[in-house]
Amino acid sequence: MKTNVMLELVWKDVQLQRWTIILTIVAGAAALAVLLIGGQTPVVIGTVFFFVSLVFCACLLPLQNIVNERKKQTLPFIMSLPVSSAQYGAVKLVSSVGMFLLLWLALLGAALYMILNRHVLPHGAIPTGLIIMNFPLIGFCLITGTALVAESEGWGTAAMAVVNSSYWLVWYLLVSHIPSLTQTWASPVAVWTPAVFKILGVEFGVVVLILALTLYLQSRKRSFI
Amino acid sequence: MTDYAIELEGVCKSYPFFELQNIALQLQRGTIMGLIGPNGAGKSTTIRILMGLVHQDRGEVRVLGHRMPQEQIAAKWDIGFASEDMRLYDVMTMGWHIHFMKSMYQSWDDAYAQLLLKRFGLNAEQKIKGLSHGQRVKATLLLVFARRPKLLVLDEPTTGLDPVARHEILRELTAVMVEDGRSVLFSSHNTQDVEQISDQITFIDRGRILDSMDKEAYLDRWRRLRLEVPDGVVLPPLPGIIGVRQSGRLAVATANAFMPHLPSEYENSGVRVHAVENMTLEEIFVANVERSREEVNA
Repeated sequence: MKTNVMLELVWKDVQLQRWTIILTIVAGAAALAVLLIGGQTPVVIGTVFFFVSLVFCACLLPLQNIVNERKKQTLPFIMSLPVSSAQYGAVKLVSSVGMFLLLWLALLGAALYMILNRHVLPHGAIPTGLIIMNFPLIGFCLITGTALVAESEGWGTAAMAVVNSSYWLVWYLLVSHIPSLTQTWASPVAVWTPAVFKILGVEFGVVVLILALTLYLQSRKRSFI
Repeated sequence: MTDYAIELEGVCKSYPFFELQNIALQLQRGTIMGLIGPNGAGKSTTIRILMGLVHQDRGEVRVLGHRMPQEQIAAKWDIGFASEDMRLYDVMTMGWHIHFMKSMYQSWDDAYAQLLLKRFGLNAEQKIKGLSHGQRVKATLLLVFARRPKLLVLDEPTTGLDPVARHEILRELTAVMVEDGRSVLFSSHNTQDVEQISDQITFIDRGRILDSMDKEAYLDRWRRLRLEVPDGVVLPPLPGIIGVRQSGRLAVATANAFMPHLPSEYENSGVRVHAVENMTLEEIFVANVERSREEVNA
């Protein structure tokens, strides 16, 4: 019986990127710990650093897991194994998205624990916080897809620049069109309005669309190395 | 089962500034073929096509009986591929790489891997980033050889190596061939390496196969004739002579289809034959490329 090469390759990526994931989780958890100090300044600093740790990993992970494979010329080694270019693309998506989701869920869980049990922020921050936490997830998928399909460090860096400068713009557009997002922030209970569900649905749809498009474009490649 | 490990028929691939034209190539099972060509000749593109990494625009490619690129996954289980631009993970150890390959290939020969570690002077605990270029090449080849593949495809594996490391690798490559049925395609622009280990030679230049045949037959066919042309005598155009360089009374004729009666034909026309010399593979290669380029330019 032949080994599942794709699973071995996913595991190989996890082994190579484990420190990036661990350090991001530690940085995110440390940022949340700052919230325990209480007061407006620690809350602002903790929240910003929590978001920054996610944004940082959203850039670093595709760079190390995908761009570096080509840049450091380990791609020919991997492609000498029994995998096709479409399978390689699928492996990279599964390993990258899987690792990012793992740390994203870990940090989401930690943030929810801090809000629900340690009361570092009002419960009303949960819906809006979830919407904001999806920004780096979408940004990560966009950078990952671009790095994989474009096969170039330049395009990967361009995607990072566009994504990172878009976070505040998207947030500004959202709150200017849906003022309730910020109005319910200080509420003692989480307010799940139809607008919140609609935004979360669109965010989920964008993630699925980016990943599906990446897989489709990868499978159509005729020259891979 | 086909007798050929590699079969390429009418393979074409176009890039904006390079074209692989109508490549036809056959590598019989159990033989070593040296693919020789200058930089940019199309060696790597040909190899990438037969590995399924680049899809041909036209033509048929079969490797170990599998159609490429459609059946590349099945074919790659039995192909050991190493190229000059291939690198291992520099933050990981040699032992990690061995474990990684071992977890995938049931054909992995651990005893042979350990033997090669010793023979190549490698340490399983050492990280790849601490290895010299020669050691990195040996490490890559160890991972290829210990899989015991039916076909080895090596794209310029000896480039940039010192003579000792090159010798070690060529010796190991020859040892690997002792096993029955193993085939090797070995590309290089170093004709000495190819001459040392190959059974078959294929010349490629500017995206075209110039010639492909048995090495001994090749070396036997090519000769250089050192001639003296007395005043009033004109060098006759003889069949098999592909080029003549004349300087005053002295001339050098190159034959690519040497026949024993060629010298006497020159003598009969009044030309003195001072020497008939064998040519090295490098000289044959250069003559072949120059002739091909002259024909294209003409």
